[in-house]
Amino acid sequence: MSVVESNSDFQPTVLAFCCHWCTYSGADLAGLNRMNYPANIRLLRVPCSGRVNPQYVLTAFNKGCDGVLVCGCHPGDCHYVSGNYFAKRRMMAFKRLLEYTGLEPERFQIRWISGSEAGKFRDVVTQVCEEIRALGPLKHSASFEAFAEQGALGTVNALTPANKAEEVVEND
Amino acid sequence: MTDTAPSITREQTARVQTARVQTTRVHTALFAEVTQKLRLRAKELLESGEVVSVIGWEAGRFENQTTPAFITDANKVDRLIFNEYCANTLGKYVLSEKLDGKVAVCVRGCESRGINRMISDNQLKRSEVYLLGLPCPGMVESPEVSHASEPSHAPEASSKLLSKCAFCTHRQPVVFDEYLGTCEATDETLGGLIPKPIDPSERFSDVEELEALSLDERNAYFEKLYNNCIRCYACREVCPCCTCRECFVDQARAGWQGKQNNLEENRFYNLTRVFHIGDRCVECGECERVCPMELPLMKINRKMVKDLTTLFSVPEAGLDSETISPLNTYDVADLEEYL
Amino acid sequence: MSRIGVFVCHCGSNIAGTIDVEQLAQAAREFPHVVHTDDYKYICSDTGQQSIKDAIAEHKLDRIVIASCSPRMHELTFRKMLESTDVNPYMLEVANIREQCSWVHKDKDVGTKKAIDLVKMAAAKVDHDAPLFTTAIPINKRALVIGGGIAGMQAALDIADAGYPVTLVEKEPSLGGKMVMLDKTFPTLDCSACICTPKMADVGSHPLITIKTLSEVEQITGYVGNFEVTIREKAKYVDYDSCTGCGLCETKCPSKVTSEFNQGLGLRKAIYTPFAQAVPNKPTIDAAHCRKLLEGKCGVCEKVCAVNAIRFDDVDTTSTETYGAIILAFGYQLINWQELYGEYGGGLYQDVIHGLQFERLLNASGPTEGHIQRPSDGAEPKTLAIIKCVGSRDPHKGRSYCSRACCMYAAKHAHQYLDKVDGAKCFIFYMDVRCAGKGYDEFYMNTQHDGATYLRGRVSKIYEENGKLVCLGEDTLSGSQVRVDADMVVLETAMVPADDANRIGSMLGVTRDKDLWLSEAHPKLRPVETNSGGIYLAGTCQGPKDIPDTVAQASAAAMKVAILFNKDELESNAMIAQSNSSLCNSCGACEAICPYQAITLEEITRRENSVMVTRKVSKVNPSLCQGCGACTVACRPGAMDLKGFSDEQIMREVDALCQW
Repeated sequence: MSVVESNSDFQPTVLAFCCHWCTYSGADLAGLNRMNYPANIRLLRVPCSGRVNPQYVLTAFNKGCDGVLVCGCHPGDCHYVSGNYFAKRRMMAFKRLLEYTGLEPERFQIRWISGSEAGKFRDVVTQVCEEIRALGPLKHSASFEAFAEQGALGTVNALTPANKAEEVVEND
Repeated sequence: MTDTAPSITREQTARVQTARVQTTRVHTALFAEVTQKLRLRAKELLESGEVVSVIGWEAGRFENQTTPAFITDANKVDRLIFNEYCANTLGKYVLSEKLDGKVAVCVRGCESRGINRMISDNQLKRSEVYLLGLPCPGMVESPEVSHASEPSHAPEASSKLLSKCAFCTHRQPVVFDEYLGTCEATDETLGGLIPKPIDPSERFSDVEELEALSLDERNAYFEKLYNNCIRCYACREVCPCCTCRECFVDQARAGWQGKQNNLEENRFYNLTRVFHIGDRCVECGECERVCPMELPLMKINRKMVKDLTTLFSVPEAGLDSETISPLNTYDVADLEEYL
Repeated sequence: MSRIGVFVCHCGSNIAGTIDVEQLAQAAREFPHVVHTDDYKYICSDTGQQSIKDAIAEHKLDRIVIASCSPRMHELTFRKMLESTDVNPYMLEVANIREQCSWVHKDKDVGTKKAIDLVKMAAAKVDHDAPLFTTAIPINKRALVIGGGIAGMQAALDIADAGYPVTLVEKEPSLGGKMVMLDKTFPTLDCSACICTPKMADVGSHPLITIKTLSEVEQITGYVGNFEVTIREKAKYVDYDSCTGCGLCETKCPSKVTSEFNQGLGLRKAIYTPFAQAVPNKPTIDAAHCRKLLEGKCGVCEKVCAVNAIRFDDVDTTSTETYGAIILAFGYQLINWQELYGEYGGGLYQDVIHGLQFERLLNASGPTEGHIQRPSDGAEPKTLAIIKCVGSRDPHKGRSYCSRACCMYAAKHAHQYLDKVDGAKCFIFYMDVRCAGKGYDEFYMNTQHDGATYLRGRVSKIYEENGKLVCLGEDTLSGSQVRVDADMVVLETAMVPADDANRIGSMLGVTRDKDLWLSEAHPKLRPVETNSGGIYLAGTCQGPKDIPDTVAQASAAAMKVAILFNKDELESNAMIAQSNSSLCNSCGACEAICPYQAITLEEITRRENSVMVTRKVSKVNPSLCQGCGACTVACRPGAMDLKGFSDEQIMREVDALCQW
């Protein structure tokens, strides 16, 4: 099971792809106002949320990030006219895909934060870091065997003929 | 996670398949007639020099099995056949054949949508192909190559629709130069001979069943899938959306696609593949059919198709060659969930 | 092998107070390819910058990481500093350890640990930085102004006065646009022609302005500084070089046609100048009504012309020229109310007219010589109903927006009518009265003192009864039904975009809003620019406005052109997209996505696998690309990459963060 009981000591690594024109300057403003937020967040500056390739998100998870945040300008405010609209469609589809294939929704989040929304930046970062801290580290190893033993996944065993030969017994 | 977890994958597909069994047997006459017309037209097209090659099917090594045929000699058109075992979707073969001249290709629903796909992706010009429309009642599994649970060679066992045909929404070609069928090209029931194909809205039923599982169950399900993937890239090779000159997986770039065969890299591959094609997938199901590990790839593909369809109300892909991918456009009125 | 130098700034105690800068510098020394690290009190100071320059020379550094304040603060400062060294200014990364670390994390250990991560990421990125260069884009210092109304004329005059040649394209036979049709202008009641025609004459005689009337822009390609524009000049059938504009041909021409200039209320000839003060003041033949051109008979004009200026064999000509900047000033048209307002008769009643027609009736050089006579029988209307917001603020029938100028010209119409007709009654149906502007509200109040009756409510129906036009409406202030038996009705109809808006807008990549007005780059801070470089907006093509606003915007647009032309060349952005043609599979997704139309598919022929192959590949125009990178994600094979924020660099940053 991937959810660990208590994770108060766990320090997740959370990577935030931030648009230079909005969220990155919002974070600068938060600094100027000496706001406090969890130190688990690492900002990676991109020119526009439209620059964020879903492959980066996958790589981040593969390399060991526990959570990924993608931030851009509010719709209609894109410095480059339309980048965040494309980003929005891509991320809407990709986030659903990741969740469908078993990623906790909290681990991959998208938010629009403008250059003046320092408070929102602080709140979002705090919330995201705490949610991921509660989830614990991203686990990579398959929990399939655990489910298979409980017989709960039943027909998942029928995934491939090869599996079927091995596992058909406990399934039926 | 209880034992009421819905049955999924092959068994669920089997329900759809079984519901559509018997009909295919009665089409012997139809197949014979279409095969005759096809050979005749292929001969004429080759002899007149209008095309340099005709792509269709010919008998395979085993009975009840076919293999793609590339006929360039008018005297060899009799090799062409059309029967219920024509499992291969042919569209993508055009890309390599067209280098020598105009190509005639047999198109059913799946092939024609693939052709449209390649035209809209600038891989093909409509003028480079001659499309021979065929009436398709849906193809059936071939017993020799099937891994059905009871390995029987009895003819009854062969009457199962292919999984990809069970989920097909457009059996008849959506674009063609001439139609070799007996009824209207728009008649999805072939004059009442076969049941109507499923309604497009029903094709996400298996995705919905998976969505209903718990997160952990889904995680386990897909990790199993990734673990079993051998990354042979057969799914990519047959896909009419996959027309890159050098696929991202073949490029040596940091963080792009690791070469190891492990869970992480296999997940990276499978999810990136879906993201690359999901906005344009014509749902021919060929990737799933050719997968040597029999991974239920359409269950991931269709998830993205389903989301894009419901979020941005896009039509089914490949019905024409004009519609722009939903990820290459936007609407300021798009649903907002990231404020 | 790259040689990276890492410089950590204390920023006084701003950074050093909560981050162990020495530990940070020490940690950075261990990162791959880092050959030198150091820390300073204030790196941005002159001495700080000098010490970096010294270190570059001493340690042969070829790329630099500066751990300091936000790159939004000093990235440009440091780039400028690098210009005087051997290091390319783009081989620089700034790790933001002040705003996003020392200022927000109070615990020194935590802050230092995060700062180390941030420097790691910067070091990993800088290791894959490539030298970048800007390119110089030449500027053709000639401007094109599309539309010869007051906006276009003002813009053309201003640019020409600044010393740059201008071509002014007008699709009608004369300059002047809508303004010259007006009788008087609010709130000062200047004669419109008296202030407009001198401008026309100035434009006509300005040595740097080339006027092309009866002309349309057919095609525009290119980009800022270098637009290739094809202009079609329609056949005028008169040789303007020899024509003296004596007007004899016009008096002798036997064909009479409804006058467009008089809004259908008067007649003109088949060979005509649209109005007396037209610029150019020379006639043109309307081929659709000329007997000679239609039937081969007549030819009177040719016979009477003393200078043999008539050319029945004249044809359309097209010319292609290069311009550096384009001002769009093609204005508006009035909404087609006949189509939308069946309840107002839909054009059935001759005496229901729109505001511009009323202007012509008021005008001393108009069809009635300034006498207010209704079109049906020429009688002077004793009761006038004016209906505002016909098509404006009416999302169910017309447009949802306010057309802005109508409140004022409705008041002006009432004032002029009450002034000219003795014992007249004037009723104005309105929704709101919006008179924001210098002297505007005072003008409106005066109109009420003149005796105009303002009724708050829409008119629901107009029908004819006993020779009167019955207007049924509502007075929402008294809550009662109102019936006005009018002799004539004036509809103050909505402004809508000209037909050209969509065609020219899409040709230039200028976005249109929901109502098809052209969109400015920023509604507040860039009101005359568009998202396409070198293309500016003037007047009502951008949205409804009155004359003062139009003129102000035209001068602003002209100023933007002058600023552009003041330079000899433009510097392109260095951090732009770049396509790898060997990977590009010509799918065109990048082209579809680019908001600046900077990407085109171009055919290339090259040897591939020992065969000559011709195929299309995407190409980025460095003058247009702004470096957003949206195209890179759409590119599945990864052929499109963004310089300065490349896939490789971003992946390396992730890698460094997680695995170093």
